[in-house]
Amino acid sequence: MFPASILKDRAAMLQRARSFFAERNILEVDCCALVPRAPLDSNIDVMSVAVTEQQRGFLHTSPEISMKRLLSSGIGDIYYLGHVFRKGEIGRKHNPEFTMAEWYRLDFSLPQMIEETCQFLFLFLGTLDVEVLTYREIFSRYLGIDYTSVSLDELKAFAKDENTTHWSRTNYLHFLLSHFIEPHLGKEGLTVVIDYPPYEAALAVVTEKNEEKVAQRFEIYHQGIELTNGYQELSDVKELRSRFSAENKERLASGKEAYLLDENFLVALENNFPPCCGVSVGFDRALMLRHKKQSLSEVLPFCWSPSNL
Amino acid sequence: MASITTNEVRTGMKVEVENEPYLIVSNEFVKPGKGQAFNRIKLKNMLNGRVIERTYKSGEKIDLADIEETHMRFLYKEADGAVFMDEKTFDQITISNELLGNNQQWLMEEVAYQVIFYKGAVIEVIPPTFMEMRITETSPGVRGDTASGRVLKPATTETGAKIQIPIFVEEGEKVKVDTRTCEYVSRVNP
Repeated sequence: MFPASILKDRAAMLQRARSFFAERNILEVDCCALVPRAPLDSNIDVMSVAVTEQQRGFLHTSPEISMKRLLSSGIGDIYYLGHVFRKGEIGRKHNPEFTMAEWYRLDFSLPQMIEETCQFLFLFLGTLDVEVLTYREIFSRYLGIDYTSVSLDELKAFAKDENTTHWSRTNYLHFLLSHFIEPHLGKEGLTVVIDYPPYEAALAVVTEKNEEKVAQRFEIYHQGIELTNGYQELSDVKELRSRFSAENKERLASGKEAYLLDENFLVALENNFPPCCGVSVGFDRALMLRHKKQSLSEVLPFCWSPSNL
Repeated sequence: MASITTNEVRTGMKVEVENEPYLIVSNEFVKPGKGQAFNRIKLKNMLNGRVIERTYKSGEKIDLADIEETHMRFLYKEADGAVFMDEKTFDQITISNELLGNNQQWLMEEVAYQVIFYKGAVIEVIPPTFMEMRITETSPGVRGDTASGRVLKPATTETGAKIQIPIFVEEGEKVKVDTRTCEYVSRVNP
C-alpha cells in the first residue's frame, strides 16, 4: 500500500502551502475544475466531458482563466491549490491529474514574483542557491548555439538519430531543451530561466530588452525538473486574440481540434484587469524532489503511471 | 499495416522501424510544460539485438511489426538445419543452423520451442528457460577439490551443451539447466 509517511507529509505540505499564502494575505479561491471553454494552448490537450446529454465541458488544465476573471472583479491577490487535468500526459514526471499551486500578485514586478516563488519552493526543498539564466544563455552555455541564428541543418545534426519527419524549427528547439539542456538546470540549487523568445510568450507580456524582444516569463528548475511557470500577465485583448488564433492554427495544423475563444474571459480582461504577475507550481513534483523520489507515483496516491495501466 | 501512436507504445510491443522489427524496451514521456511533447523510446532490433533510442513527437504513429509467435516441436536434425513441427497445424519447417546459432546446443526431441516469425520468415528460436537433460561426459569429482575452492567442473550434456556442474554430479545423471545463462540449477531425481 501507499506509505503512510508520504501521505502524512503530503497533508502537512498542503497545510504549509496554505499558511504561506495566508501569511501574505493571499485569498484562496476554489474555482470549478469543470469549465465551459477549453483553455487554448497548442501543446496542452484538454479532457472533454459530457456535462449533460447536449452540453460538452472541459476539465481545466490550469485555473488561469477563472482566476483572471476574478482578478478583473477586483478581488485582489488570490491563489488556487487543487487538481488540474491534462490529456495524454502520462509518465514518470507526468500524471494526467495533478496538484497545482497557482497565485497572482497585484503590482508585483517579475523579479518580485520570482523571489516569492523561490521562497515557496524552499518550503519543500529547504533554502537553496538561486541562479538566473536567460533562454539565450542556456542554449549557448549547454549547446554552444545561438538559438535565434542557428541553421536548420545544425539543428538537424543534433537529432540525426531521431524520427524527425514533420519537425518544425520550434520542435527541434524543444527537443534540444528537453533532452540536452533541462537535465543540467538546477543541479545543485534552483535555476530560473528568463527572457523567453516572443513566440514562447504564452500569456506573458513581451517587452524590449537590449534591442531584443523578450517575453516576461520565467520557469524554475531543480535537478533538471521543471517546477514552475510564471508570467507578467498580458492584458492586451487584441494581442491575446491574435495569440489564441495562432495557437488554434497550430492545433489544426497538427491534426488537433480548434477551440472557441472564451469571450467572457476576454471581456473581463478589457474591464479593470489589474497589472499583476502570476505563477503556477507543480505541487507533486516539488513533493517528489523533497522526498528524493524518481517518479510522481511515489508521492501521488493512485497515480496513472504506465505500469498501472 | 496496423499502427499505434507513440503514447500507446508499451514495453514488450513489437514495432517496425525502417523495415526491421524492433521490441520496445521502454518508453519515456518527455515534455516541457508549454512545449512539444516527445516520447523517448528504447528499442531492441529483433534481427541483430542492437538497442537504439529514438525520440518521436507524441501522437505520431509507429507501425506494428508483422510478428507471429508459435510453439514448435523439434523433430530431427538435417545436414544444415533442424526440422520442427507446428503443434497446432502439424506443418513442418526446416530452420537453418545459421539461424539457430548457439541454440543448436539445446535441441532435444519432443521439446516445444518458441518460434518467432517476421513477415512469415523465422527470425528467432527460443528454447524453454529451464530444460532437463542427461550429463554424457564429465570427469569424476576428485576429493579435495572443494578445499581449493573449485566446486564446479566442466560437463557436456546429451544435447551437446557445455556447462559447469557441481563436482558431486556424475556422468549419466539428469540435471536442470537455465538455457539463458547455461547455468546448472539442480539435480533431477530419477
